[in-house]
Amino acid sequence: MDIDDILREVDPASYAIPEGTRDLQALTRAWVAERSSPELLNWPVDGLFERINERIKQQIEKIEDMTGDMDPKTNFALIVIQTELERYKFIVRSYLRARIAKIDKHTLHYLSTPTLRARLSETELAYATRHQALLHNHYLSSFLSSFPQTLQNLNDTAGNISMIDTPDLDTAVFLRLLKDTLVEGRGTDTDGGMNGRYGDIVILRWSDAKPLVDSARAEVI
Amino acid sequence: MSYYDIDAILTDAEKVPCKFELEVAELGYLDHNPAQPLKAGTSVGLPLWLGELLALASRAPSSSEEDSKSFISLNLPSSLSNEVMSALKADPRAVPLRDQSHNFYGLGTRMLDLFDEREICAILRKTFVTRAADIALHARKAGATEDMGIGGGEEFLRGLEEWERKLFKKAHDGTKGTKEWMEGIKKY
Amino acid sequence: MYGDLGNKLVQQAKRTQNLAHLPPYQTEIVRAVTREVRDLDKDVADLLEPFQGSFNPASDQATACTLLVNHLSMRRNKRCLLAYHRTRTDRLEELVWKGYDVVDLAGQQVGDGSGNHNGASGTGNNDSGTSSLSPQEEDYVRQYSDLLAAYKGQWTDIDLTGSLEPPRDLFIDVRVLKDAGEIQTEYGAITLTKNSQFYVRQGDVERLIAQGYLQKLS
Repeated sequence: MDIDDILREVDPASYAIPEGTRDLQALTRAWVAERSSPELLNWPVDGLFERINERIKQQIEKIEDMTGDMDPKTNFALIVIQTELERYKFIVRSYLRARIAKIDKHTLHYLSTPTLRARLSETELAYATRHQALLHNHYLSSFLSSFPQTLQNLNDTAGNISMIDTPDLDTAVFLRLLKDTLVEGRGTDTDGGMNGRYGDIVILRWSDAKPLVDSARAEVI
Repeated sequence: MSYYDIDAILTDAEKVPCKFELEVAELGYLDHNPAQPLKAGTSVGLPLWLGELLALASRAPSSSEEDSKSFISLNLPSSLSNEVMSALKADPRAVPLRDQSHNFYGLGTRMLDLFDEREICAILRKTFVTRAADIALHARKAGATEDMGIGGGEEFLRGLEEWERKLFKKAHDGTKGTKEWMEGIKKY
Repeated sequence: MYGDLGNKLVQQAKRTQNLAHLPPYQTEIVRAVTREVRDLDKDVADLLEPFQGSFNPASDQATACTLLVNHLSMRRNKRCLLAYHRTRTDRLEELVWKGYDVVDLAGQQVGDGSGNHNGASGTGNNDSGTSSLSPQEEDYVRQYSDLLAAYKGQWTDIDLTGSLEPPRDLFIDVRVLKDAGEIQTEYGAITLTKNSQFYVRQGDVERLIAQGYLQKLS
């Protein structure tokens, strides 16, 4: 069973599954989506990461308890638990790193409006704010402070080009449809549309894909 | 276009032919002649970052009868000249685009934002698509044999402008990645 | 003409993107481009001076044109300077994520990480063995390292700077390429001396692999 199988068989609306499994599925989904979409997605606000952190802590304690035991049977179990923990931690790490990479690339953009700022977690917001301050300071001490005052900004839009870089929302993404739905895409010469069916895989500009993803009609893969 | 993008900044430095519409005493240096005023009608090659906005800025009319005009008039660079366009129409693959401009497409798209030249637009697009297929083919070959940059590969790369080189690198890395992945599958 | 020097910086930045190491900071060019901006600004002030704040572009178009050229040149230089510095800080941040600190980076000989802690940083402007970082960049690396440490500290159980390759094996064979001293693992302490081999938990040694002390054997 691979990730595709996990994702396919999970109906996001189903709550018959234990919370731990559901959280792992939510994490896996968030991770895949974050890695595949060109812009930063919302930080989960339903306490997912608090629960995840708690579980990781519990597993680590469990492993510590089991370590002293030299019985080969528990030893095997220990290795399984440790391996599973490493994989779990890897997904969290990879997810957080994917987000930090996007935040670093377009810091000023994500700090520019309350709506965009709301996508970041508290720690990410603190990191981004401080990072931007460090950069600004670095520019100032390297050359910017001897510039005329009017040229010292890092956020003007004068001269046909904004200093605030933004992610390219027209980047292509792969989608899997979770429901039968109309899929519409803008093209260079003409726009296109098709009646998509559950399970179809389509390639689309992110700007056209986002409404489908937001309404849970499709997921990024 | 991104403010910090190195390739965009280098594209901005590409020279375009400009003709001054008025005499400016202090700008003689633009025509390598700092001691002399720059006369109206002088043609100079200016980098895009300067030429574009000088052409777009409308100077205020000096009298009410006069229409507002710009400081300079801009022309298409030689990389988009009729000769190059005919050559591309004949065979897109036969033209070393890099010799025309390192940022051929970057410069082209910037100029075509300013000039309504449908035909050039169509030629550039056809050129890009035709050459992209060729680039993908070369990149796959180079990726399969792990010798990018050796022999034929390097000769081929020499004629590619920046967008095309990026495309080549992506196609090459993609092929290599696929190959590694396939081998990984076999192992486990 | 104005902007030519700035362009040199951007070409440097382009080169840097394709290099494995960080080339020396171009102190002289940065200074010259900055000076150009100040000179241009002064020209603007001189040009406007006779008008006493009542300059009318319509009545003196040649001056208006010169002012615009000066203004655009300043903005161009600013963009070149920012992009040059940004390319370098991007690279420096990448190295900090990989576990290098300012001493490693300023000392250039990354291999000798444990040695000369003093002297290499700070005033590294003597001719031989100079740092390829500017003093400001060294400060930046220090501050960014602190920032990263603080952010990592929020995730105590996840090593954020760990490998981004999906884990396959819990334990791996490693060969020690450089003496790395003693490390603590869940299974006790091991001393990593050059050329020895160990069977260790991957999570315990990832940073050492990234920094080139250990080599993973497959």
